[in-house]
Amino acid sequence: MIARITPPAWTRWVLPGIAAAILLGYPLVFGTVYTNIFIHFAIFAVFAASLNMLVSYTGLLSFGHALFFGGGAYATALALENIPGMGLFPAIFTGGLAGAAFALIVSPLLNRVRDTAFALLTLALGQLAYMACIKLRDITHGEDGVGGFPIPDLSIPGVVSVSMVPAQNFYYLAIVILGICLLLMWFLTKTPFGSIMIGIRDNPQRVDFLGFNIPLTKCLIFTLSGFFAGIAGSVYALFNNLVTPDGVFHIMTSFTPIMMVYVGGIGTFAGPIAGSGLMTIIEEIATRYTTQLVLFNGILLVLVVMFFRTGFVGLYLLLKQKLFEKESSR
Amino acid sequence: MIFKHRKVLYRVTFVLSVAAVFMLGPLGGTAPGADSSFDPAAMSDMSDFDPNNFQQPEGDTIKLGYLQIMSGAAAGNGELFWPVVTWVAHDINKRGGIMVDGKKKKIEILKGDTQGKPAAARKETERLCLEENVDLLWGTSGSHTAKAIADVAEEYKVPFLNCLSLSDELMNEKNFNRYTFRTLSNTTQWNMALSYYFSKRPETKFSILCQDYMYGHAMADAFKKYLNKYKPEAEIVSEDYHKLWLKDFAPYMTKIMAANPDILYTADWLPDGDNLINQARSMGVNLPIANIYITNPDTLASVGVEGTRNMIFCYSWMSGDTPQTKAQKKLMKEWHEQWKTWEAPYDSLLYIWPDFVVGQTISDTYWLFDVIQRTGTLDPEKIIKVWEDDVYKAIQGVRTMRAADHQAVFDMYVGEATYPTREVYEGAPYSEGYAGVHKVIKIPQKYCTPPVPEGLKDRVE
Amino acid sequence: MDPMTFICVTQFVHGLAYGLLLFLVAAGLSMIFGMMDILNLAHAYIFMLAAYLGYTMTGLLNFWAALLLAPIGVALLGMLIERFMLRKIHPLGHIPELVLTIGIGLILLEFVKWIWGTQSLMLQPPEILSGLLSIGVFRYPVYRVFIIGFSIAVMILMGLLFYKTRFGTIVRAATADAGMVGALGINVPLVYTLFFGFGTWLAGLAGVVVAPFLSVFPGLADQIGFDAFVVVVLGGLGSMSGAFIAAILIGLLNSFGIQFLPTLAPLLTFGLMAVVLSIKPTGLLGERQ
Repeated sequence: MIARITPPAWTRWVLPGIAAAILLGYPLVFGTVYTNIFIHFAIFAVFAASLNMLVSYTGLLSFGHALFFGGGAYATALALENIPGMGLFPAIFTGGLAGAAFALIVSPLLNRVRDTAFALLTLALGQLAYMACIKLRDITHGEDGVGGFPIPDLSIPGVVSVSMVPAQNFYYLAIVILGICLLLMWFLTKTPFGSIMIGIRDNPQRVDFLGFNIPLTKCLIFTLSGFFAGIAGSVYALFNNLVTPDGVFHIMTSFTPIMMVYVGGIGTFAGPIAGSGLMTIIEEIATRYTTQLVLFNGILLVLVVMFFRTGFVGLYLLLKQKLFEKESSR
Repeated sequence: MIFKHRKVLYRVTFVLSVAAVFMLGPLGGTAPGADSSFDPAAMSDMSDFDPNNFQQPEGDTIKLGYLQIMSGAAAGNGELFWPVVTWVAHDINKRGGIMVDGKKKKIEILKGDTQGKPAAARKETERLCLEENVDLLWGTSGSHTAKAIADVAEEYKVPFLNCLSLSDELMNEKNFNRYTFRTLSNTTQWNMALSYYFSKRPETKFSILCQDYMYGHAMADAFKKYLNKYKPEAEIVSEDYHKLWLKDFAPYMTKIMAANPDILYTADWLPDGDNLINQARSMGVNLPIANIYITNPDTLASVGVEGTRNMIFCYSWMSGDTPQTKAQKKLMKEWHEQWKTWEAPYDSLLYIWPDFVVGQTISDTYWLFDVIQRTGTLDPEKIIKVWEDDVYKAIQGVRTMRAADHQAVFDMYVGEATYPTREVYEGAPYSEGYAGVHKVIKIPQKYCTPPVPEGLKDRVE
Repeated sequence: MDPMTFICVTQFVHGLAYGLLLFLVAAGLSMIFGMMDILNLAHAYIFMLAAYLGYTMTGLLNFWAALLLAPIGVALLGMLIERFMLRKIHPLGHIPELVLTIGIGLILLEFVKWIWGTQSLMLQPPEILSGLLSIGVFRYPVYRVFIIGFSIAVMILMGLLFYKTRFGTIVRAATADAGMVGALGINVPLVYTLFFGFGTWLAGLAGVVVAPFLSVFPGLADQIGFDAFVVVVLGGLGSMSGAFIAAILIGLLNSFGIQFLPTLAPLLTFGLMAVVLSIKPTGLLGERQ
């Protein structure tokens, strides 16, 4: 047995420090293309993490998460298109609120079902949103979508005003907002509320007996999850300056975060983030050198389910454990 | 019985008279006032062309970014136009390339997979522009993805040939940008041409059945508007919009039969268009169907001679069984000869002749490179200068790039499928097992020129 | 007959034919879920594979041989998927199954594109099933009549299989208590594999029957897959009779909606689903979640 030596306190800041330095320097080193790929990754990391709140922590598989993502994206796009002088942060906040509002509206219905019925009901609701978006042409411009809306500058009156159109400027905005979202979600899992979520997943009866109102708690979880998905959608809208039903409400938009959560490692907080990263890299390689993106995704899903059920994070932990064991046995 | 004969008589007189009115001038004659024209004599020997094995040139090249859907269920789009771009590139490369910036350069084609999604289209376009440094962009199916590409094209100042998206809004004052040029007929052109054509026909009762989304409604609205203009006595007896990817057309057919129209108008694309005609015919609905995209030889052959008779096609490129120009005749024959040697997936009937959208995009791609040749440089600003107000005698018809809104204007063509056509000369297009277009009717440009969007009128003096 | 009655009767038959077609597509999905608690998201892709197989076999042999062979082919594939994949992950709960079947679906999509290409293929019904049938003033396509008859025949066959055969008895018993059936010396996993094969066989039948009706192209699974889920959800997860009623309801709502409420027709199915699920979240006849 080797006694564990407590490392000095400053070392705790080494890794986050390096991470922050990489994040800050990233766009300067890698240029526009990779900066935009990173923004795409970050958007989907937050989107997948918001789904993860339901899947990993509350045990509910949503097949219609595009409803909240798309709701947020359209709210931001329409607000910027129709309200003159709309600020940047109000626009993003509108997106989050729209996601939350959609979640709040459907939660009484979702509260009544669990398991596969829940998955199918969310699938139907997501599909309904897709159809409605195409149908309500006068507001949403149908399949052509809402595009070319003004992207407001980031401005603190009298102090500074920065255009958000250049990729690098937008990068910093996006990672700050998405980073805050991830931190908030992480923080949430560490609070008593996070424990209640896990309780609902593992033993809802017990949570009920403890005196918590399960439907109300679930409703709150949906709303929070919808809010973060809405923020992700909102940043997506600003990033692309174009929101279309096929882009944000399509059934694949609901499936993508599920794949990310599962590939990254279900049941962990880091899973969806790792999954988003991994799938972004695979998409990049697949579209660059082949036309077989769909096949790669299919094979990846089958392999992960059959052989690496704990996903990427699980694999990482396993490797770490193996290495650690080797060291201690030496 | 007499009634039936009278109808035939009408039709024959009509076809003859319309043909007499519209038949083009001398075949292959030079167009007065054209800045440049396609020269069929310059076309290379294409016997070594193979779309499965396109020879990318080495060294300093002109880079064309080919943006299409290449993965997923709609990957057929990316496949369909690959022989188009590689054909033109191969031809020009064999001629030794194009003189730009004092150097003969050959054409290299770089693929970008849009996945049919604007976000992916944007990302791929960005990659092609920044990493591959493409000089030109080529695309794409779906107005929303075309919009995403056009935005990036403007950002990085790369000329973008949009020869596949037809939404009017794409080139209006809000979405217009200087780097995007559209050579496909837009919603208005299409429906002006069809409406004008119908003004010369005796039928007065029309039914509309389109897809229930922006495109379907835009097409139907334009059709109603211009039919009313060209043929005020015409009447829309039923108007329906079905959901995308509809499975069962029968309820609509019953409704249409009850309305008893003379013509059924649809703008459906695949698979809806295929299913529409198949199910209509199987239910005994034998109306003439005016359409745009039901041109797949496989579908037509499956519906058969009786089923395809009376179909009315409208396009900016149409050969019928007798190609309209010498250049078209040469391209048709040459392509068809080569097609016989191609391997899967390009061995299917879809590629048998470069007609309709295939012919149009070939022609547009030649136009793009003709402009580059005349510009003599890859400087986007100079390319724009040459292309604006350019008058090009294309493989079929004369095409003018309007400077104000970068929308190409030209004659349109309408053809009615009457009976299976013949192979008039070796390699000539014919329709085996279905009714093909025998006589192509030209709708002169002045009847199908869309108005310039308000805000763009005084963009150029 | 006055025109309105004529239209109503015709639309009723349209709705019936379309509803029964939907039932045929959804039956396997509903059955596998009811008995094995597996939601097979690859169902629609297996259905599409069968349509392609049906197209090719009709060309090589004839329609009837295709109707016999193609479903058997996809049933074998289904049994392999159950035996070597689904069985291993079933104890882990629903999420891995859903993700796995999405993955299998995507691979099948690429597979059909690889074998048959990306363009649409169209098949005409056999001579005997083409043309129009005349009954009084009504003229109706023979193939649609065949769809009605065939679907009803399949339904009767399923009823007989479940309630009149030993296999059916075992299956029903295993649904109630698999452990007890296993204790009686019956190889329950084998029953499951056969049953899954039967479910995919039904998808195969639907695929071949659809081939002369809809153009066969790589998007066919997406085109019809969602409708199958709607039928299953609306009918109640796992309930065959529920799925049947739901399919007929959707079919009738569709044809009468198109006739009388054309602008709302595309949303009517969702409306029905929203109403039913808000009143009874388990669907029309569903009991479990």
